[in-house]
Order: sequence, then structure tokens, then C-alpha cells
Amino acid sequence: MNKVEVRNLTKSFGDLLVLDDVSFDVKDGEFLAIVGPTGCGKTTFLNSLTQIYDIDSGSILLNGEPVNLKKHSLAYIMQEYSTMSWLNVRQNVQFGLEIKGFSRKEVREKAERALELVGLTQFRDYYPNQLSASMLQRVAIARAFAVQPDLLLMDEPYGQLDLELRFKLEDELLNLWRKLGTTVIFITHNIEEAVYLSERILVLSNKPTAIKETIENRLPYPRSVTSEAFVELRNRVTALIKWW
Amino acid sequence: MNRKKKRSFAGSRTEALVYGILSLVILLAVWHLVSLGGRIGKFFPSPFLVIRDFANAFVHAIGRNTMLEHIFFSLRRVLVGFGLGVVVGIPLGLVMACSKAGRAFFMPLFSIVRPIPGLAWIPLAILWFGLGEQSKYFLICMTALVGITMQTFFGALYADPVLIGAARMLGAGKFQLFVHIILPSAIPNIFAGLQGSFAGAWCAVIAAEMIRSDEGTGWIIFNGMNYANTAQVIVGMVAIGLVGLIASTLLKALERRLCAWNIQGK
Amino acid sequence: MKKRAKYLLLSLFSLGLFIFAWYLVTDILHTFPAQALPSPTKVVLTLVKKFTKKAPDGGTLFQHIWASLKLALYGFSLGAVIGIPVGILMAWYRKADLLVTPIFHFLRPIPPIAWIPLMLVFFGIGQTAKAAVIFVSTVTNCILNSYIGIKQTKDVHVWVARTFGASNGRILFKVAIPSALPMVFAGLSLSMNLAWMSLVAAEMLAADKGLGYMIQYARMMARVDLVIAGMVMITIIGAILNRILSAVEHAVVKGRHMQ
Repeated sequence: MNKVEVRNLTKSFGDLLVLDDVSFDVKDGEFLAIVGPTGCGKTTFLNSLTQIYDIDSGSILLNGEPVNLKKHSLAYIMQEYSTMSWLNVRQNVQFGLEIKGFSRKEVREKAERALELVGLTQFRDYYPNQLSASMLQRVAIARAFAVQPDLLLMDEPYGQLDLELRFKLEDELLNLWRKLGTTVIFITHNIEEAVYLSERILVLSNKPTAIKETIENRLPYPRSVTSEAFVELRNRVTALIKWW
Repeated sequence: MNRKKKRSFAGSRTEALVYGILSLVILLAVWHLVSLGGRIGKFFPSPFLVIRDFANAFVHAIGRNTMLEHIFFSLRRVLVGFGLGVVVGIPLGLVMACSKAGRAFFMPLFSIVRPIPGLAWIPLAILWFGLGEQSKYFLICMTALVGITMQTFFGALYADPVLIGAARMLGAGKFQLFVHIILPSAIPNIFAGLQGSFAGAWCAVIAAEMIRSDEGTGWIIFNGMNYANTAQVIVGMVAIGLVGLIASTLLKALERRLCAWNIQGK
Repeated sequence: MKKRAKYLLLSLFSLGLFIFAWYLVTDILHTFPAQALPSPTKVVLTLVKKFTKKAPDGGTLFQHIWASLKLALYGFSLGAVIGIPVGILMAWYRKADLLVTPIFHFLRPIPPIAWIPLMLVFFGIGQTAKAAVIFVSTVTNCILNSYIGIKQTKDVHVWVARTFGASNGRILFKVAIPSALPMVFAGLSLSMNLAWMSLVAAEMLAADKGLGYMIQYARMMARVDLVIAGMVMITIIGAILNRILSAVEHAVVKGRHMQ
């Protein structure tokens, strides 16, 4: 069974048609990257999936049924800063776990592990207004990782981070993905990142958005950014989006 | 704060209007029913009575004046007192912000006066100025003064240092600096101070009129109380609320006119 | 720490300067008749003596302070306990919002002291009327501020909670209310100041004890020293109440200590 099934998804904002009859599947445990021009509706798609927006027509199914946020285990790392200013780092990371109803012990342990993952252990008692932008994003990432979700949605999560941290987190993401068998939908502008991480790349068109092309990425892991095959694939995707 | 429903703007507007009218109707109905009933009803005039009395007051006098004249008395007092507060407060705030000597001299006095709740001045005002208009002006002035001075002070003090530095580099003298940089950047704060203080000043007028006067909107409710004329009390309250509301709306409109360049920040 | 000490010193210096100037003008230069402006020493003496003396108004300073404080705190706590939840609910549930807010807009412009005559007619001359006035003004301000606080809840935070599967009620308690707390406290602070001031005014109009009554009576007896002593007491207690509220706010509202 497919993890996510999108059928004829159409979404407009007033007169502006953003998503136009989009259909595709995401397999269970797949790592899918979505690339496309700015404003083409990538975020709109994720927001529709998580029911932040109501869709005009079409459907999005998760495990064969309509998305049920309470029942299904999702985590969504948004583009905007989403840390809660009244909670410290540790409490922020525990937020999702608490809502999901884990025991106090589990909440603490899972949060602690997630903090280690993103390298924020010694900042656990700090408040968001004391942290830098990249640290805040790491808190959001840790919060999502902590619940070990079934479906992980990421909207350009590593955009603000420096290169070294970005590489580290990309590798950690792959680790987690493999260990947990999570299905990941990853939105990015960065072609190299998309090629490095994904098993399949969805290239979207401009508004009204449709799928321009789907590219399979069968490079073996771990991938080398400088290998011929990598570069060739990267160029291929870049050519597709040259008109951005 | 529920879903980001894509409801049409016009639709939500009419919905709000419908509910608004509905709630008003319910309120009036409940009020009317309560006024009919037993013990509480005796003290509670029906809303229609109040509305009638309110309209009447514009034609027939309450006491010695009609409603408009009462409002005029209250407004005059508030404007004089508030005006005094403005005339003293804004320069005071500016002086304290711009002159170190001025600050050293006035700050102590100001710090003492500042925490005193406005209405606590009433007895002292009466003792010093008697029971006439002057004590009311003094009271209103003192109530408004604190807020106006503080806001002016902070507005001028926190003028953008980048702008000041830039102006200095271009050769601006102290006076030019003041007029072109510090004053304009203080204006939004000044208006905020004016609005905040006006509410307090309006309160002060009402209090002053309740304590000792023969006319004015505050007198209306005090007089009504003395004769257990609840309808009159409510009429007075409505008048007070309305005038206060209109005045502060006008003030906001004035600010919008004068500070149009600041609106985009709001 | 150094800066704080410097400002404290400056404040004390200003205070000293003011009192010295006052002393100079009255006891030494005799610029004003003793009736109009008594010397600071007289005021202090009066203040100290009043703690135990019942004359001229029939109550010691302790009794007056207690009477005022009791009433203010009673009206204030009741108003807060009712106002804050109502404001929260009004902001969170659309139906409640549409129905109640219009009524609210009518009640808000009426200054708290304007309620005094109505309450006096209802409850007669007594403590209840004054407590009712405090209650009304506190409830109004608490509702308003809690409402605004909840309305300012960031969409992002709500979405995060919702994506994790939180129900509407859970979101209210885990996101909306905590993020609204600074605003709630601002409302409490405003209400407290308003309550204290309205109470003093109410006591001037219709009471037989309390600080407001005391200074009004002193005024009628032309005892300026007692009036000023009363004003000092009113101011001090108001400041103390503010301090306490501020301390509570710091303890409860974390995460904004660097604002």
C-alpha cells in the first residue's frame, strides 16, 4: 500500500489557482524530494496534507484513509520559526511527545536523545530569545525527530544553517530515516541536497502547479557529491528547472 | 482560533453583524424582562424608559441644563485641564529628555508626583483651589500630566541615534537636531501619551463632578443617585461612555492625520 | 549591578533633594501659610501618629488601610477570577466571540467611577457597592486583555500542535493560554491600578472608613497635613501592590525575562 496517495489535488486562494489537479503517490518508507520554483505551492501542498488548509477538490490519503492527525503519526518541520517562546529548549522538544501521550519517562528520554542528535544538549535550559536563528531551527528539527514519526514533512529545514551543520544533519536525517523506516517528504530549493538525500525527485512547474517530471534517484547510499553519476543527475534536474 | 477556513470576507462580515445585532437584542430583552420582575425590577428601569429619558434630556433639562449643556460643561473642563497638562507636560518631557541639567532638576519632583494615583489629588485640589472650577482644572491637569510627560520624555529620549548621528555629520546644530529629528520621532509617543492620558482625564472630570458640582455629566449620575432615579443614573452613564468614546476616536483620527508616515508600522 | 546601584542612588538623591526643598520652603522660609502647605516634618509626624490615633475621623491608619485593602483585593480577585477565563473563552470560541463582544464594546467606555452611583443605588451605602465597582472595572479589563492575548496566538504554534494531533481544547491549554500570559498579566496590572484608584474615589463619595474616606474627611476638617499623609500612604500601598504583582508575573511568565 502506498503511504500517501494524492489524487487530483486542486487548491486555489480566491482567484489564484495554486495546485492544479496534482496526483502522485509516495511509497511506504520512501524518501521523496520535491523541488520547484518559489511560490509554486510546495508549502501549500504540505499545508493541505496537514489540514492547515482546506482543499478545493481532490483527496489526500494516508495509509489508505483520509488524514487523521490524532491517529496518524506526523511531524511537520515548517519553513517559519515555530519554537514556542514561553518554553525552554527542552520543553519545546518535549512538546510533540507530550501531545502524543508518551509516559513522562519516555518523554524525557526521547527528548534527550533528539537534543543530542542536533547538538543542543548544553542549551536545554535556554529560552528561544537567547538562541540564534539556526539553533531555533534545530530545536524544531529535534522536536519533530523526537516523536519518531511515521511520516516526516520537511519544508526547507536546513536553509538557515551553515554548511558543516547542514551536512551533519543531512546524514543524521538519512540515519533516522533508515532506522525508523519513516516516510519522508522533503522540500528544498537546493538541487544538490535533493539529489544527496532522496530516492525520488518530484519536479514541479510554475503556478498553476502540476508535476513537471518525476526522476528516480537510484544512486547507492552513502552518496558522494563529487561522483560522476551524482553530478550527472544533478545537472539533469538543474536543466529541468533552468526556466525558473 | 480554529481552522484557516477560506470563508469569503463579505460572508464573515455579515455574520458578525447578524450576531452583533442578535446579542444586542438579547441584551435588551433580558434587561427588559429583569426590569419587570419583583425585587430587582424596582431598582431597574426598563431599557425603553432609559432610551426615552436619554432622548428627552436633550430637550428638557435635567436639573438646570439640558443634556448638551451638561456635556459641554464636562468637555470644557476636560479640555481646559487636559490642555494645561499638554502645555506643561510636553515641554517638560522634552526638556527632561534633551537637557541633562533639566533632567537633574525636574526628575526628582516628577518621580515624587508620578506614582500618586490621579484621583488621590481630589482633597488637596479642593483645599488649595476651593470648590469651583479651578480645583477641577488642577485635578484633571495632574491626572493627565504624568502620562503626557512620561511619553514625551521617552519618545524624545529614544529618538533613533543613527538618525541623530547622521544629522550631526551633516552639520546640524542643536536646535535643528531638535526640530527635525527629535521632535518628529517623539510625536507618535506623544500621541500615545495623549490618548492614554485622555481616558484618565475623562475619569477625573467625572470624579470631580460627582464630588462637587452643579452641572456636568458626572453631576447627572450623582444627582440621579441622590434621588434614587436609576434611569437618570443610567442615562448619565451612557452619556459619559459615548462622549468618552467619541473623544478618543477623534483623537485617534487626529493622530492618523498627523502621523500618517507612522501608520505602516502599526 | 553597578548601574542599578547608580540609579538607586540617584533616586534617593532626588527624594532627598525634594524633601529638603519642601522643608526649606515651609519651615525655614515660610513661603506658604501652614494651612496650605505643612512642612514635611509635620506630615511625617501626622502619619506616624495616625497609625494609632483615631481622631479626627474615627479610625486609625491601620484600620483605614485594612478596610481599603480588603475591599480592593476582594473586588480585584473576584474580577480577575471571572474576567480572565471569560476573556479566554470569548477569544477562543467563535460563537461566544460574536455574541458577547458587541455587549462588551458598550460597557467598556464607561469609566469605573461612573459605576459608583448605580452600584450605590443597587446595594446601598456599604462595602458591597464599592466592591461591585472594583469588580466591574477589573472584569472589564481582564476580559479585554485576556481576549487580546488569546487573539494574538501565533498561527504557527497552533499548527504545530495540531499536526501532532492535539485537539482544540488541548491547543487552548498548551499553546494559546501560555502564549497569552504576558497580556493577561498586563491586564491584571492595569486592573490593579484602576481598582486601587477607583476604590479611593469611591471611598471619598460614600464610606465611613478607608483611606479615601480618611483624606476626604481630613479635607473637610482642613487638615492638609493629614490629607498629604493620606496621599503618601495611598501611593505607597499602590506601589507595593504593583511590586507584588510584578514579582508574581516574573515567577509565572518565563521566557520573556530578556524582553
